[in-house]
Amino acid sequence: MGQIILGVGDFGCSNNPDDEIKTFALGSCVSVIFLDPKTRTIGMAHVALPDSTINKAKATEKPGYFADTAIPALLAQMAELGCDKRGKGIIVKLCGGANVMDTNDTFQIGKRNALSIKKILWSYGMGAIAEDLGGNYSRTVSISIAAGQVTLSSPGKPSWQL
Amino acid sequence: MVKKINPDELQKIVASIPMISASASRLLQISAQPDHELMDVVNLVKTDANLTARVLKVVNSAAYGLVSKITSVDRAVSYLGEQVIVSIAIENCAGELLGKELAGYEAAGGELWKHDLRAAIAAREVVIQSGADMSPDLAFTAGLLHDIGKALISDYLHGTAPDAVEMISSHDSLDYLAAEEQLVGVDHTVAGYALAQAWQLPEELTAAIRYHHEPARAQEAFRPLVYAVHLGDSIAMMGGYGTGSDSMRYKLDPGYADYIQINANILANVMLTVDTEFEKLSESLSDSGEKN
Repeated sequence: MGQIILGVGDFGCSNNPDDEIKTFALGSCVSVIFLDPKTRTIGMAHVALPDSTINKAKATEKPGYFADTAIPALLAQMAELGCDKRGKGIIVKLCGGANVMDTNDTFQIGKRNALSIKKILWSYGMGAIAEDLGGNYSRTVSISIAAGQVTLSSPGKPSWQL
Repeated sequence: MVKKINPDELQKIVASIPMISASASRLLQISAQPDHELMDVVNLVKTDANLTARVLKVVNSAAYGLVSKITSVDRAVSYLGEQVIVSIAIENCAGELLGKELAGYEAAGGELWKHDLRAAIAAREVVIQSGADMSPDLAFTAGLLHDIGKALISDYLHGTAPDAVEMISSHDSLDYLAAEEQLVGVDHTVAGYALAQAWQLPEELTAAIRYHHEPARAQEAFRPLVYAVHLGDSIAMMGGYGTGSDSMRYKLDPGYADYIQINANILANVMLTVDTEFEKLSESLSDSGEKN
């Protein structure tokens, strides 16, 4: 089985049923998951920050890092595998976006990431059918391409499906 | 049944940890002095053959890609800067402790050290990018050492992570610190404080270890530094570099605003810098290690 490991700001996709896409320890980062039932392609981006205007150079080098550049980049990559380039028919799932306890507005990066992602998805006419966002814990996510199953885990908790 | 750590037991644990080297101890003292110069660091490194060798190995590692080899300590220290020297010294004498697996938190070996490096860089960047009036070098050093107590109590917490998580979600514990205290009688800041005292660390660093989750309880003079570490710790966890089951399960104290002016934009930039700088620092440290 091929494992595609995505670090912070990475994105990737596969239509090989033997593959698994995985990303570790989403703190305030959000994992955007695209599942295309028609081509059986699954993609994921590990988004760290809501807005690329703070550093355009970083956005060019690593578009997956920011919500506003990650989604077009992931769609473009999936289009190469035959998915609709505007995301038509693609199912969206979101997870991550945790915050530390009693956080204030400034430190709610997890929440801002999720909001920014939803806003951009909306502009494509897309929306999440399932989400596991917020809370005060870090999540690791893995998806098997064959089953299209999203599995989450966090130290000290039994794993669960999304 | 989880074994509780009473004061005698805590002293036994502390006594079982090797002392830090004389040169590392002196380096931390120098780093805490507000008017020290890089030359003081150079002179200190020169007194320790082992540290000198490590410093030269790091500066000549592939991570820095120097065209010609650096052979003098003066040049190596001024090229690497104080923070890298402190990281090397701490890794050199407490690497085993900070690199160990934290089974009690379900964290693999190396996760604590990575968290410490991220917290150190984040604390430094918080100071620099917010323009706070304190030493970025000291914030970095305090960030490196803040969680050392976890390495002391982790074995006692073995198997408790699901309980701790449940205690917090059911509000039996206010946060992970309270859960540690309820489970084994001592939280990681109290354990770290006991070690800091045994190691005779400068009081600024001792305060950061003891109060990084409760900065308002630190002595007024040290509070800005302790708040910087408090934020650095939170930023490291938010960036996905916690130490297992306790990650994100601590409270943010908004009292930082009295000492550190930080808005959403500065915070985003700090997080971005931490990602970039962490890659560089960890590459240079591990690079040199492999060549040993």
